[in-house]
Amino acid sequence: MTLFLEQLVNGISLGSLYALFGIGFGLVFATLGVLNVAHGAYASWAAILGYFSVDYFGVPFPAAVAIGVLGGGLIAVTVDQIGFQPLRGRKTGMLGALITSIAFLIILDSLAGMATNHQSWAFPSSSFPSGMVDLGLIRIPEMQIIIIVATLVCGGGIYALIQKTGIGAAMRAVGWNAEAAALSGVNPRIVILLTAFLAGATSGLAGVLGGAATSNISYMLGEGLLLKGFAAVVVGGFDDVRGTVIAGILLGICEVFVAQYLSTTYRDGFTYVLLLTFLVARPRGLFGSRDFMRA
Amino acid sequence: MNMLETSKRTLLSAVYMAVALGIAAPAHADPDAGEYRIGMISDDSGPIASAGQSYHQGADIAVAEINSKGLAGEGVTLALDIKDSGSDAARAVQAMTQFGSDRGILATTCCILSAIAAAVSPIAMSNEVPLVIYGATRASLPQEPYVTSVVALPGPQEVAMSERLAAELKPQKVAYFLSGDNDIFKARAMAMKEVIEKSGAATVAEISTLSADTDFTGPATQGIATDPDLIVVMTTQQPTVGIITALRQRGYEGTIVTSEVLSPPAIFKKSGETITGIPFALSFQPGVSDSEAAVAFIDAYKAQYNALPDVYAAQGYMAIQFIAQGLKTLSGKPTRQDLAKAMWGTSDIAVNPYGGQPMESGQARTPNTLIVNWTKDGEVKLWEKP
Amino acid sequence: MEALLDFWYAYSATLAFGLVNSLFALSMYSVLSAGILSFTTVVFAAVGGFAAAQMMGTFGLPLWLAVVIAGLLGGLASAIIAALFLKLETHWMALASLALILISRVVVLNTPSLTGGVMGMVVPVRASVLELAVLLAIVSLVFFRLHKSWYGLAIRAVREDAAAASTMGVSARQIQMIAFLISGVVGGLAGAAMATTLQYISADTFYLGVAFTMIASTVLGGSFFWFGPIVGAFVFTALPTITQAVLPEIQDIAKGVVLLVIMIYLPRGLIDPRARGLRKAARQRQQSALNGSDAVEARPGSSTAGHAHD
Repeated sequence: MTLFLEQLVNGISLGSLYALFGIGFGLVFATLGVLNVAHGAYASWAAILGYFSVDYFGVPFPAAVAIGVLGGGLIAVTVDQIGFQPLRGRKTGMLGALITSIAFLIILDSLAGMATNHQSWAFPSSSFPSGMVDLGLIRIPEMQIIIIVATLVCGGGIYALIQKTGIGAAMRAVGWNAEAAALSGVNPRIVILLTAFLAGATSGLAGVLGGAATSNISYMLGEGLLLKGFAAVVVGGFDDVRGTVIAGILLGICEVFVAQYLSTTYRDGFTYVLLLTFLVARPRGLFGSRDFMRA
Repeated sequence: MNMLETSKRTLLSAVYMAVALGIAAPAHADPDAGEYRIGMISDDSGPIASAGQSYHQGADIAVAEINSKGLAGEGVTLALDIKDSGSDAARAVQAMTQFGSDRGILATTCCILSAIAAAVSPIAMSNEVPLVIYGATRASLPQEPYVTSVVALPGPQEVAMSERLAAELKPQKVAYFLSGDNDIFKARAMAMKEVIEKSGAATVAEISTLSADTDFTGPATQGIATDPDLIVVMTTQQPTVGIITALRQRGYEGTIVTSEVLSPPAIFKKSGETITGIPFALSFQPGVSDSEAAVAFIDAYKAQYNALPDVYAAQGYMAIQFIAQGLKTLSGKPTRQDLAKAMWGTSDIAVNPYGGQPMESGQARTPNTLIVNWTKDGEVKLWEKP
Repeated sequence: MEALLDFWYAYSATLAFGLVNSLFALSMYSVLSAGILSFTTVVFAAVGGFAAAQMMGTFGLPLWLAVVIAGLLGGLASAIIAALFLKLETHWMALASLALILISRVVVLNTPSLTGGVMGMVVPVRASVLELAVLLAIVSLVFFRLHKSWYGLAIRAVREDAAAASTMGVSARQIQMIAFLISGVVGGLAGAAMATTLQYISADTFYLGVAFTMIASTVLGGSFFWFGPIVGAFVFTALPTITQAVLPEIQDIAKGVVLLVIMIYLPRGLIDPRARGLRKAARQRQQSALNGSDAVEARPGSSTAGHAHD
């Protein structure tokens, strides 16, 4: 029983990272119509920036997280303005932005590789909450609690932002139809910048927290998150933050239990078959309310 | 017993060296003076760059030493021509083709990954250029006469370590962390398991992980739940460090044993606290290896890079020394064919930091075995029962 | 002479990979030219690559026979996948094709009797540069003929406006099915070519890296004319080799920057029939101005249709 509960928490925590990462990926796809394969690089860079700020400047962990989040957001905005903005209005469709995002994936990953000397690093265990919390029946690592809480807070916050605020309504409007949104008095530029920043920042948060929890900060950190976050977004439905969060957490739980009770060999296969099944059979995702409409 | 064997080997290698030099001196003139280029396909970037850079730096040290001491012959100098493959098979194949067709390249050296070594070997054979494999450890990679390997096949060292651990610690319940997608590491783990089970210990868990995995909380929880008194971690470098970290963070305090992937100082810098005291087996480690050649290598490396060499650096160093040794036996204008033949016929690499490196049919045999661990202060000492 | 020979030998590998990558890019181009963004080429290539490796390694078939079988199996795979995928809305198809690549990798890793599993497979036969060039020439000839055929017209119509095409009696679904089949056959050939060039294939040979590089090559070269992907593939293959000779540290970054710059300033790629059409139109305008006649009406922008007649 203890083992089951502990593995359940492991799964929720792992899945929370996928969810946190997926939120931004889905937001950009639904709002800006960009399949951004460089989204993982934001997470890698955020983790690297956080690590450097601890290693060189000895800042406390919360500050390192903040630096990573801010860095991820700013990189995302930069990529958007250099790589995606010139293509808007040119009707290159999804293809043009996909190619520029591949270009940024190559550039950002190579730079991250150079910055880390192609090695894997880790926050010193004294610099971040690496202890365990005793809950009586089970013991949980502090980082897992932080990750789960962060995901719930971010997920809830962004959901509220999109559903309950004016700027959120504008984001939905841009996702629906940019021209109509502009007509209704919303400045699409602001919406685009805000969406890109939020996406980069959440990706960055997933990167720093994940990098700390797994003691693995490298230029390849983002790739693993990208594949699983992508799965979470598809299964959960692109335009639905709640769906992404729930799907991500479910995926994490599935992975841990498939590995525990079946075999690691089937773990990734299970995730991807689930992903394909949803794409083919239920493209709206778990909770998707409408079809993806943008051209 | 281990000590005795080591010193015996040192003596033996000294004899070899004397014999090699003795024969070489009167029978041959040195090759023509001049610079000869060695093509090195490196892994300076990519997923295993941490090891790849060590191999590269070790090779650089060898070149400097060979050139300054004239180890390849009077007035003979070597120069490395580096092409980084980033551990990508296609890039390695392109690089090998370029080296093979460049007549200025006398010999080549390559590859940590067995798959890439297997991909470039046929090119070396068809271009008739000597290829020294410096890192890949799959069996039967060498091909007469062009393809040789200076890395011993893994196995005997872990077996020796397992025997010692089984005898001294008498574990009852042992859990194994295996690599699900690396056949070589899996085979190494199985060899250890056989030895440990023979001593009467029960296997309580076999947990498979993948090389690209980063989250090990699940596997660690699974392993600890079986309450083992010894945990064997036999996976590639990143997962090994990740698994050990997860086990320790979750409060496992029993003995963990692993492989030489912990050897690089960068790993200690990254995870020093968690890997302290964990035994692993290898043939060369600063602080333990004390032969004259080892000390010279360590000093030169430290002077150049301000860091201690690891076992990978030693292997890169060996690859170049092996080429130089073959070159030294030639006279006149050396050809690729003659060099390959000379290298294939070599039975012992004279300049080596292991205290002896026998070669047989182009394949290095297992040199001496050191069972070591990191200490709190960042030194490596011979492992003692805690 | 000797220097020339050395040069040839040194860059023959780059040339060989350029030829192989051209096949990959043409397979991508086949579906892209029907208005579909799909990465399934990599899956077809995996089918073809491992099939060819098995045919030559296990059954000892000659190179050309193995290549043909690889093409056929790639086509078969594409028929199955297209039947499943063509029901999807285009955006989902792109995502589904990525998911399929991820699944293929898991399958390849877990069917060691077919693919060598984690060990991969050593391929006993090596294709010469000449053989690869002949293969690409044959495939190019097919694309050349197709471009001028009814199918070429129809596929351009479908890409520009599927709804309008259907009013002209062109079934978008049918055209896209054909595009997928061509992509499958060419992808299978590309896989076999890759297997016989690398002489070693594994799960990593046919993974996301190839998918991203090949789509980038295709769009970089220009996805509106069959010659574009070939140019793109060669540029993208040669670029790292060139930068490695000059500045090895930045070879990857240079690749990314070139891609970015071209996409921003030449979003239609290096080879753009419309640009050619525009130049031609300008020439005609000049000429007609010289002739003092305005009989020739230049219509910039209508080049994709106009190109079919030249």
